Amino acid sequence: MDQRQIKQRAISIAIPAIFLIAACAIWEATVRLAGTPVYILPPPSKILAEILNQNLSLLRHTGVTMLESVLGFLAANCLAFALAVLFAHSRVLEKGLYPYAIALKTTPIVAIAPLLVLWFGTDMLSKIVAAGLISFFPVLVNATKGLRSVDEEALDLFRSLAASNWQIFRLLRLPNSLPYLFSALKISTSLSVVGAIVGEFVGANKGLGYLILISSYHLETPAVFAAIVAAAIGGILFFTVVSLVERMMLSWQEPSEV
Amino acid sequence: MELTVQVNNLIKVYGKVQAVDDISLAINKGEFVSIVGPSGCGKTTLLKIIGGLVKPTSGEVLLDGLPPAGRRREGYLGFVFQNPVLLPWRTLEQNVKLPLEILHHNGLYKERITKVLEMLGLSGFERAFPKQLSGGMQQRAALARVLLYEPSLLLMDEPFGAVDEITRSRLNFELLRIWEDFRSTILFVTHDLDEAILLSDRVVVLSRRPARIVQVLTVELPRPRSLDTLNLSAFHDLVRWTRDRLNNAPSV
Repeated sequence: MDQRQIKQRAISIAIPAIFLIAACAIWEATVRLAGTPVYILPPPSKILAEILNQNLSLLRHTGVTMLESVLGFLAANCLAFALAVLFAHSRVLEKGLYPYAIALKTTPIVAIAPLLVLWFGTDMLSKIVAAGLISFFPVLVNATKGLRSVDEEALDLFRSLAASNWQIFRLLRLPNSLPYLFSALKISTSLSVVGAIVGEFVGANKGLGYLILISSYHLETPAVFAAIVAAAIGGILFFTVVSLVERMMLSWQEPSEV
Repeated sequence: MELTVQVNNLIKVYGKVQAVDDISLAINKGEFVSIVGPSGCGKTTLLKIIGGLVKPTSGEVLLDGLPPAGRRREGYLGFVFQNPVLLPWRTLEQNVKLPLEILHHNGLYKERITKVLEMLGLSGFERAFPKQLSGGMQQRAALARVLLYEPSLLLMDEPFGAVDEITRSRLNFELLRIWEDFRSTILFVTHDLDEAILLSDRVVVLSRRPARIVQVLTVELPRPRSLDTLNLSAFHDLVRWTRDRLNNAPSV
């Protein structure tokens, strides 16, 4: 049983790895055979060399972007959850604020980013706010839904025991909302990285967004790709951490798909 | 006789729909009373009003002399629903202990929980999550949850309506056995006449909506009842007689 699980785990890692290697090989061959200039599309070998060459500075830029993402993510999701708790307990509040939440959600972060930089400066704060703004809504929407969508009969069960509102919240609504909450948190991880990078595009002197912008000005395309790879890896790590926390807290259910 | 449940001239109207029409009912302490009636006739509404989960439009309910709202806090009431209503994130044992947490009785019931789980054939499954249990076991867990805190009045709303025939029959006999032990008062809603007559001291037959009492039938079959009870001709006579009453129930 255990050995079979290990084998399956190995296969589930090996198959995508083989596909990645194959894709890179095809990419490498195509670019070289077609003689595509490096500044248009560098081959994977050049990108890898760039990553190794830059290592410390790339790591530093990635660190900045990830820090902005994580801080924005944490602050926004705490706020979003608190607001969801209010929404779940007050229809009036929800009715009054929800349309504006949606309006803010549909406003593209790219459109707001210049304002954020204007208000919060070119340092990290404006990126944290951008990351927070974009990762705020999935949690608000899902947590509200999760807190609300408790089984009517379960509510009757609690009421038949004269449970207080606090008991209903703690023992029923909160645990009921966790699966909804975590599927939103997982979506928010990648969104917050997007927010931070967009913020850096507008005005920054460090971070992956800054690196991408500067490198593309100078047609240093391998550096652009190196930054993209770093952003992707950072996002995946972030997602993985949240998934692990989810698996620990929701061990009673099957892991949910995003 | 001591009256546990007293229902006086109960009326419930939802908007323009009348669900319950002038029902009065008195149930003695330790009695097993079933309520039968056509589906959608307002049986569940009646049960919820008695349990204080739904407010009546007029009329009153007294449980040992007090309105339901005053009784719930004491763990006086135990509901069993058609679905087991187990919380999926809690293990079986945690689910069974939930009412103790809500009523702040925690810690007092260590021995009792073992006994209750054993009685319902749930020993060894304490750490299982609900989704790992069969439908019958889930319903047993719901029963264990309510028996653990010994409510004086059990309100059961088609508790075995969602399990298969065989499991249902077994659960019926288990319920009888347990009731003979605990002797709490039980109000049992069902649409199954065999079940109602097998279990009850009295059967209240309701009309189509709005629910009105058509007949109150006293079941004088000997106790303890068993599989043999199902073979008695008196049992079949009662079922037939009640079915006629139910079918001839005047509709409005």
